[in-house]
Amino acid sequence: MAENATKSSEAAAPPEGLTPPERRTPLALRQPVEGAPGTLRLAEMPFAGKFILRLDPASGGEAFREAAGLDLPAAPLMSVVNGERVVFWLGPDEFLLLVPEAEAAAFAEAVEKGLAGQHHQLVDVSDYYTAIEISGRKAREALMKLTTLDLHPCGFPVGHVAGSNFARAQGWLWLEHGEEETARFRLYVRWSMADYLWCVLADAGREWGVPEQIPAADETFLTESVHSKKA
Amino acid sequence: MFVISCPYCGARDQSEFSYGGEAHIARPEWREDMSDAEWADFVFMRSNPKGVLAERWVHSAGCRRFFNMLRNTATDEILAVYKIGERAPEVQAKLPATPCGEAPIGSGNDAVKVMQPGEAE
Repeated sequence: MAENATKSSEAAAPPEGLTPPERRTPLALRQPVEGAPGTLRLAEMPFAGKFILRLDPASGGEAFREAAGLDLPAAPLMSVVNGERVVFWLGPDEFLLLVPEAEAAAFAEAVEKGLAGQHHQLVDVSDYYTAIEISGRKAREALMKLTTLDLHPCGFPVGHVAGSNFARAQGWLWLEHGEEETARFRLYVRWSMADYLWCVLADAGREWGVPEQIPAADETFLTESVHSKKA
Repeated sequence: MFVISCPYCGARDQSEFSYGGEAHIARPEWREDMSDAEWADFVFMRSNPKGVLAERWVHSAGCRRFFNMLRNTATDEILAVYKIGERAPEVQAKLPATPCGEAPIGSGNDAVKVMQPGEAE
């Protein structure tokens, strides 16, 4: 989001002679869009700390719990939530860890320390993925247009996380909240796919009044301020 | 479209998977005196049966893990799915029940198609 782009550049003053780093998210040019009230809303969830953890849960699960303060998912396709910290199951020995941005560095350090001696790998992918939040009572229906996943509540309960193809892009879908009126999905996608998926999702929501989103063909990267472009 | 059962993620659409060729082909140990023919045998030669074939698949849009599958190449029936490193289970395949071994349906070779009782021409 545009507000966040300024926030991060204020945080650390750059050395003299260097222009301030313009940190922005893949969807910095997009504002949240909404259809008819309560039907479908799209918003980006920018700047979370994201880590890929490769670890055998049988041998390292206990050490991870002590270091991170939450368990690894016991079953495939499930997630574990503790406050703002979340762990996704991505594979039998692969997990995605989500933490608030402010805690990310300390969290990574604690996990590395806790898993010292274990065969593992922890990679910071915070700037590799972004999350699009899809909420409202038509969220399931809109996503059904993009994917072959079974999104019926029986097949995709709360806390479920599944990797699949969404339109032409690959991503991880997580159901954070399942009540029909307040259903909230998060779709974790790669940076370069985010704008494409944003437009496809808006297109899927056209029947409920989501405004059309035009792909950002002429966006400028990094050199030009997002704000000066928008003004 | 197939529905393929990933051993980790469960039943998913075929579009999430990629094919990885025939399974259980071990890379030969390097020897100084290995002939080109031996190497070509490892690189190119495949069994290509009409019937049960063990093949590798990868769930490329989901958990991104390779696994093995036994598939009947004549009927596209998926007979078993098992993890890498496991032995192929014994399966009973319904092989094509026609005089020359063609699949009764779907082979495109209507000249040898065996009509079932009551089936219209």
